[in-house]
Amino acid sequence: MKPAAFEYHTPRTVDEAVALLARYGEEGKVLAGGQSLVPLMNMRLARPANIIDINRIDALAYLRRERGVLRLGALTRQRAAERSPIIAQHCPILRDALRLVGHAQIRNRGTVGGSIAHADPAGELTAILLALDGEVTVRGPKRTRVIAAADLFVTYLTTSLDPHELLIEVRFPLPPEGAGWSWMEIARRHGDFALAGVGVVLAVRRGRIAEARIGLTGVGPTPVRAAQAERGLVGQPPSTALWAEAAEAVRGAVEPDGDIHASAEYRKHVAGVLTLRALQEAYERARKVA
Amino acid sequence: MKIDGTNTLPASVDTVWKTINDPEALRRCTPGLKELKAISPDNYAATLQIGIAAVKGTYAGTLRITDKQAPTHYRIILEGTGGAGFMKGEGTVDLEPQGDGTLLKWVGDIQIGGLIAGVGQRMLGGIGKMLIGQFFKCLEESLGSGS
Repeated sequence: MKPAAFEYHTPRTVDEAVALLARYGEEGKVLAGGQSLVPLMNMRLARPANIIDINRIDALAYLRRERGVLRLGALTRQRAAERSPIIAQHCPILRDALRLVGHAQIRNRGTVGGSIAHADPAGELTAILLALDGEVTVRGPKRTRVIAAADLFVTYLTTSLDPHELLIEVRFPLPPEGAGWSWMEIARRHGDFALAGVGVVLAVRRGRIAEARIGLTGVGPTPVRAAQAERGLVGQPPSTALWAEAAEAVRGAVEPDGDIHASAEYRKHVAGVLTLRALQEAYERARKVA
Repeated sequence: MKIDGTNTLPASVDTVWKTINDPEALRRCTPGLKELKAISPDNYAATLQIGIAAVKGTYAGTLRITDKQAPTHYRIILEGTGGAGFMKGEGTVDLEPQGDGTLLKWVGDIQIGGLIAGVGQRMLGGIGKMLIGQFFKCLEESLGSGS
């Protein structure tokens, strides 16, 4: 398994990388962690003429918390994020979901920006970015722009970035202090792509749900935000019946595709069951603020 | 792999029938179509260029329309081969009047083999459906603008 011949470029700065993308556009492909791209190249399914390897752009690997927002440089390794004390303390749903991204070896190389830009329909980070109203910064030859997660994911493996743009930062607004969280997914084996997965964040104040976030993966061409289920939760006193209602709303809102791994009906069913369990777990973890 | 769907088109059954038999409309609306040459009536040689993310491929094949029951039914048979694998598809299209418009029902059975099937299995059905969706969306737009 060897890739077809390509030109290899090693920019040291974002400006250099963007200039290369401007030059090659559709003929160029950004290489970050390479955990999806390189296998495709080795099988010669992908034959990019130019590889723009951004691994030497040190300025793109960072992780910091600023004014309630988690800012991750595109080149931050998934493993670094998974082990970050900042994420463990302020956004534990990310840590829990990251543990299920492939295997440790994959996460050692795989990057946060790569996961988002690759937009795999069974990705974990994409669903959380959407649920938390996250956004990304992308730089093109003429300008830098911010894309909200809701406008980012177009379809399978496709984002609204254009071929001349480089994703440089991913931002997750942090859930409120004391919010409960849960990430749950079902895969055939550990490390496989999820057949369906759900992330939940719940904030509880004075015995009622103050904020609810539900993001799903593996149940359609893009990650799904269960907005209707979220609205049904906010303002209500928590109860098992309420979780069941939300799970029902989720089942009604998703239109998964079936394949040899799981039928559409099964994915829909699992999305509901996981939502119910995740809501329960998130609620148990929520610090109830009076 | 079986996929199906329905589309409501803003034109009469006769108009829709003409459009889905018009090589020009097929050429304009088939996603990624580079070339469509009529070999004989209802029998075309086609070259498609389809790319999802980094996987871009060119597929050469044929497209045939058979079992015509004007103006409501036909069968469409597609075969293509490219570097990443091969594809065989067969589908039926049925039209029925719905108010001022037409309800178009399609059912397809697609077989995909070769490398691409091994790697992309979990997305192929959805992508196929998406491409067929784009085709009908384009038909819908061209019919809409004509009425």
